[in-house]
Amino acid sequence: MNHETELKLQAYLDGELSESEATAIREMLARDPQARSVTDALEATRTILLANEPELKVPETREFYWSKIRRQIELGEEQGAVANAGQAAPAWWLRFLAPAGLLAVLIVLIALSLRAREGASPIWAMDDGHEIETPLEETSSFSFRSEAAAMTVVWVDSHRE
Amino acid sequence: MKKLIPFRQLALAAAAVFLAHACTVRSASADLHLQAQLVWGTNIDKPDDPKLKEVDSQVKDKLRGVFKWKNYFEVNRQNFTVTAAGPKKVKMSDQCEIEVQSLGNASVELKLYGQGKMVVRKTQKIKAGELLVLAGDDKNDTAWFVVLSLIER
Repeated sequence: MNHETELKLQAYLDGELSESEATAIREMLARDPQARSVTDALEATRTILLANEPELKVPETREFYWSKIRRQIELGEEQGAVANAGQAAPAWWLRFLAPAGLLAVLIVLIALSLRAREGASPIWAMDDGHEIETPLEETSSFSFRSEAAAMTVVWVDSHRE
Repeated sequence: MKKLIPFRQLALAAAAVFLAHACTVRSASADLHLQAQLVWGTNIDKPDDPKLKEVDSQVKDKLRGVFKWKNYFEVNRQNFTVTAAGPKKVKMSDQCEIEVQSLGNASVELKLYGQGKMVVRKTQKIKAGELLVLAGDDKNDTAWFVVLSLIER
């Protein structure tokens, strides 16, 4: 028995053949024991499947089940849109801050160069920088800083005998 | 559509106002109200000169925390103001004079003159509660101190 005949027998059992084809299959079953054997096996398989296939019931209605899935999809799309908006905001600020920062750096550099040209002490020395000068040869000095007392001391040593 | 508020021009105007304000505040705060004290440090309890009085406890405690002398007497005290216009000379004794110049940003240049000669020059940022002290030893195991501080108003 070829494969096409097996398919014909399967279609016969499923009621998918025309009347003429079904008559031809019935005549074949009457004279061919192998065809009957195949048909019996197919019928037995279908009976077993119909009787023993587990039937699962969802605890909610079909409409409610699919609506839940739809809401999950919509929620995911909304979160994606919010995330995209959050990523767009820094880009806008960066477009503003980048030139502003560059301008600030330029202003500082120009100010520093102008001060240097005028021979003034650099800006950073005015904050915490300090200088000591003892022009006389017979004197020397050293400085001391007490953070606890908030006091800076310059001790002048005159090298007297 | 034409914008109701020209944001670019508004930002430029705001920056100009900010800079003008900053310059005004800076120039106004350039004046420094200072106090200079000439102090004598010694281990004797009572000086021969009755005009000498003990320095205030705040300065005394600070000096005692650093130096070895027990007592500190105020020889002279001068309150003065330095401006951005130029340096200020203050006579502390017959032989001692100081010159203070504001460098801006609360920084000062302090020069100490002894017998007309500059002995030491110091630049320092000075804040409220801070002391800038120039000091040296004197005869008979004593010491002199020039204490510069900012007068809080």
